[in-house]
Amino acid sequence: MLQCIFLLSDSGEVMLEKQLTGHRVDRSICAWFWDQADSFKSFPVIASPTHYLFQIVRDGITFLACTQVEMPPLMAIEFLCRVADVLSDYLGGLNEDLVKDNFIIVYELLDEMIDNGFPLTTEPNILREMIAPPNLVSKMLSVVTGNASNVSDTLPSGTGSCVPWRPTDPKYSSNEVYVDLVEEMDAIVNRDGELVKCEIYGQVQMSSQLTGFPDLTLSFANPSVLEDMRFHPCVRFRPWESHQILSFVPPDGQFKLMSYRVKKLKNTPLYVKPQITSDSGACRVSVLVGIRSDPEKTIESITLSFQLPHCVSSADLSSNHGTVTILSNKTCTWTIGRIPSDKTPCLSGTLALETGLERLHVYPTFKVGFKIMGIALSGLRIEKLDLKTIPPRLYKGFRAQTRAGEFDVRL
Amino acid sequence: MAPPAASQRYPSPSQPSGKSEVTDLKSQLRQLAGSRAPGVDDSKRDLFKKVISYMTIGIDVSSVFGEMVMCSATSDIVLKKMCYLYVGNYAKGNPDLSLLTINFLQRDCKDQDPMIRGLALRSLCSLRVPNLVEYLVGPLGSGLKDNNSYVRTIAVTGVLKLYHISASTCIDADFPATLKSLMLHDSDAQVVANCLSALQEIWSLEASHSEEACREKESLLSKPVIYYFLNRIKEFNEWAQCLILELAVKYVPSDSNDIFDIMNLLEDRLQHANGAVVLATVKVFLQLTLSMTDVHQQVYERIKSPLLTLVSSGSPEQSYAILSHLHLLVVRAPFIFASDYKHFYCQYNEPAYVKKLKLEMLTAIANESNTYEIVTELCEYAANVDIAIARESVRAVGKIALQQYDVNAIVDRLLQFLEMEKDYVTAETLVLVKDLLRKYPQWSHDCISVVGGISSKNIQEPKAKSALIWMLGEYAQDMSDAPYILENLIENWEEEHSAEVRLHLLTAAMKCFFKRPPETQKALGIALAAGMADFHQDVHDRALFYYRVLQYDVHVAERVVSPPKQAVSVFADTQSSEIKDRIFDEFNSLSVVYQKPSYMFTDKEHRGPFEFSDEIGNIPITPEASGDIVPAQQFEANDKDLLLSTDEKDDNKGVSITGSAYTAPSHDNSNISSQMQELAISGPATSAATPQSSFDFDDIFGLGLSTAPAPTPSPPLLKLNPRAALDPGAFQQKWRQLPISLTQDCSVNPQGIAALTVPQSLIKHMQSHSIHCIASGGQSPNFKFFFFAQKESEPSSNYFTECVINSSSAKAQIKVKADEQSTSQAFATVFETALSEFGMP
Repeated sequence: MLQCIFLLSDSGEVMLEKQLTGHRVDRSICAWFWDQADSFKSFPVIASPTHYLFQIVRDGITFLACTQVEMPPLMAIEFLCRVADVLSDYLGGLNEDLVKDNFIIVYELLDEMIDNGFPLTTEPNILREMIAPPNLVSKMLSVVTGNASNVSDTLPSGTGSCVPWRPTDPKYSSNEVYVDLVEEMDAIVNRDGELVKCEIYGQVQMSSQLTGFPDLTLSFANPSVLEDMRFHPCVRFRPWESHQILSFVPPDGQFKLMSYRVKKLKNTPLYVKPQITSDSGACRVSVLVGIRSDPEKTIESITLSFQLPHCVSSADLSSNHGTVTILSNKTCTWTIGRIPSDKTPCLSGTLALETGLERLHVYPTFKVGFKIMGIALSGLRIEKLDLKTIPPRLYKGFRAQTRAGEFDVRL
Repeated sequence: MAPPAASQRYPSPSQPSGKSEVTDLKSQLRQLAGSRAPGVDDSKRDLFKKVISYMTIGIDVSSVFGEMVMCSATSDIVLKKMCYLYVGNYAKGNPDLSLLTINFLQRDCKDQDPMIRGLALRSLCSLRVPNLVEYLVGPLGSGLKDNNSYVRTIAVTGVLKLYHISASTCIDADFPATLKSLMLHDSDAQVVANCLSALQEIWSLEASHSEEACREKESLLSKPVIYYFLNRIKEFNEWAQCLILELAVKYVPSDSNDIFDIMNLLEDRLQHANGAVVLATVKVFLQLTLSMTDVHQQVYERIKSPLLTLVSSGSPEQSYAILSHLHLLVVRAPFIFASDYKHFYCQYNEPAYVKKLKLEMLTAIANESNTYEIVTELCEYAANVDIAIARESVRAVGKIALQQYDVNAIVDRLLQFLEMEKDYVTAETLVLVKDLLRKYPQWSHDCISVVGGISSKNIQEPKAKSALIWMLGEYAQDMSDAPYILENLIENWEEEHSAEVRLHLLTAAMKCFFKRPPETQKALGIALAAGMADFHQDVHDRALFYYRVLQYDVHVAERVVSPPKQAVSVFADTQSSEIKDRIFDEFNSLSVVYQKPSYMFTDKEHRGPFEFSDEIGNIPITPEASGDIVPAQQFEANDKDLLLSTDEKDDNKGVSITGSAYTAPSHDNSNISSQMQELAISGPATSAATPQSSFDFDDIFGLGLSTAPAPTPSPPLLKLNPRAALDPGAFQQKWRQLPISLTQDCSVNPQGIAALTVPQSLIKHMQSHSIHCIASGGQSPNFKFFFFAQKESEPSSNYFTECVINSSSAKAQIKVKADEQSTSQAFATVFETALSEFGMP
């Protein structure tokens, strides 16, 4: 049971305070929190002298919740994450100005999302029906109709329906449903160039604008590659259990249908071969990047970034392809883009060590970024999407993409 | 805590300082209040927005309360919402003015629009002004019967709010019964969920003084109710599912079929997108199968994969919460993640708090099959840019080395760390090498050759320096220049700021002296002289002690300071297994994150609403508490290894040595147990002293009064408070302060002794006589209990009892201390009667 939620700006200013129970939490708790040392402050769960604090940080905004009673910590954290998601959805992003400009909406949302310290309605679709987002369309509407209220007149029916994620009977002139496979590859390549860990975390994202009460089934050509799934509440468990078919009545609008993991992949699409040799106060660096196993689609937006060790006093790095930037905080980023057909991109140069140091003892970790459109690297393929009753003018679309998640190459 | 004025801590320059703007707003609002001109809502909205924004940044705008209420007559819902928000914030501070709001809120509660009805009702209940509760009952009653579920949902929560403002009003209006029928019959899942949450809280709080509420609370856990919820769990939203799962944890299944039914119903919850639901389900599974070992193991297999996905897929904050729980699981079942160790490899971008937990996981799951890979991985972190993580990694390698049998490769790795020439890595490694040598003396040759090459000048951290000095002393004969290094260090005595290092220097100089007297004599002399002149008490005392012992007999000194050592077999765990079990029972709660059971960090008054029933008697069961053994053990231990004492003083978190006969008191996490030891030690001492002195006192004054008061034919029957509460700290304090008013021996009947195999049974039994246990301990045949009781009529009059039961002689000795000494005889009678009934059917 949460007692209070605070939103803090990145300078520690209280932007918003929402008391949830009869027990009033004094704002001074925020000052206490802000004065803690960074190493302690960053923990998601903190015990203050008076309260237990949960926090998440999103785009510089700290969402801080207080309680004095025992409760599942994950529930508080999940809830705060949900609040952050809903707010950024509503406000079109998250930053100090957006929150301050729209604080009335934030209050309204919190009012519906949590009552007496217990989470209530957190489904974005339902909230959207109760409180209209402050977008351009509703602004236009208010000018045209003169009705400036951002609150809809009717109460969302979803709060009373047995399919809580879906409003009853939305109507569309054209019916559309899109399925996106979005995969992220997490990999670790160790000092010896071995791939110690490589797995894919994937999501099936959907966008549906369908009239009435559609019943969908989505099947995969090779569901056996999936290791562990998590489903949106709309997915029926039994059909998946018996036939690996996703059967569901979708929420209206965009949502995440399922997420999954695919472990123990054997290969990454790219290789990165870094080398550092150091001798008598100077290091030579060379990094090669190339395609290891061709995914048959173009690999785009390839980047490589790493933190220069503290003991490096200056760096002179250049590449035969793409651009290299070194920021003042010693972050070095090499933007490669696509791999050219005629040469292997190579970053090379020298690092000067601080005086007195002979050799480099601390080695950087290279973070790799890339994007591949049109393919899911896990190999997962969608077979078909069926609707029980086919509405007129139905458009179905499928897309896939893979990008690098946490792809570390160690040296 | 920061001063209360901190609310204005960060005023930005653009913010108004307060006063003049607020007065300005006040007059503007006043102008608008009566106006019905078109467009007035827009101007009101701007003003309201301003008021709320002032309120948000922490400026007190309570002075416009009256005006805000006057302006509240509007049909605009956003205006209404802002007004509700404002009123909710300031009503508590302005109870008189709040009366003004009742009128318009009550009117809104009858509005056509269900949204307005709901919002008005919510605001009405959120005023939290005690003398306005009479106005709540009507609207709440109709709200519960409203045909719109949104309004009902809010009304149900409103009942709970009312209960917290005025419990009697809530009960008198018979709201709990209404909620119960709603809970069982309403068609809307959210209404049902809110009923459940409200009833759980109300009945838990009522249960302390109402039999009926107690029964009702039990009835929530009855089979039909549990299945009623579990069968339709999918209709509820994710948060309500958590609530239901928490209820299900408390359900006691009737048989194994029951268990399997529930697990089947809940299996798909493990696949839910919300981590809180998954974790709550995991808890149900684990608790249900506790008694079925085979199934319990299968459960571990089943929950593994969902949990691992949660770790890697959520936000770092979620990962943190999950990892804390995984750590708990791994301690109980190390095998479960043994093959999934790669999941706990740290990624570069993860925040430090996640990395730290991952390192702990890697340490915990290391076994014969995966050690090589894990240690290789950890070694890569040691070269990490992040210094804190590099340190943790070195420590992790060391911990793994200490828990493995095959340490060959690991020792090599550790020694490689020393060659990295990074001061913090070297420092951490030295500490570890020291511990390793204590466990595996056979490695001394390899280690010493490397350690000998380290220049003591490069090591600044006290811990590392102490470790190095310890090794110099211990292996003086293998390191050719040990005496000279020590001599160097001793010469810089004045510059050595850490008392720990100075203590180690003294001991090392002694040890070195015994092995290589001619080379060390001079250095030892300087060290002893410097030590005896030291300002630090411990250093001074130790130097003096060494000096005297040397003076007495050098051979005795050698036996004392440098006896032949046995290798340490197991390093003491900082947490007792009872505490671990207790945390496991509190799975999916803050306890897990803090690695402490909730009673150690939450005040009783703040413990969750559902924890109130948790009687204090269940609290600490500490086997170390047996008073007559502990002091002896400590003595022996102190003698055995002087290194230990400094280690413990300066780092009560670190691993401490255990000899074969010695169990280190676990300082860190079981402060209750150490308190208990103090209690146990101080108890008998006082008992011996007090009666004696009181007799002398009497004799001196020749009063000749008989110590027993005038014979009371039958002591007035003492009524005890069945729900007395006292925290262990207060008990301890009182026990120290009060004299023993009574010591008595009595016997325990054989049935009682038989039942005593589970000490809990006595605690329960005494509780039924309103005598509560605060702590207990001991092992067969000697048990020791500390009880307390409270006079029913006077909460300030407490009785404290120490009861030692010897189960082989079936005798018990009780010592009573009391706030009110005159009634202690009466209490003792009650106590003895209660004790004599123990074990009787």
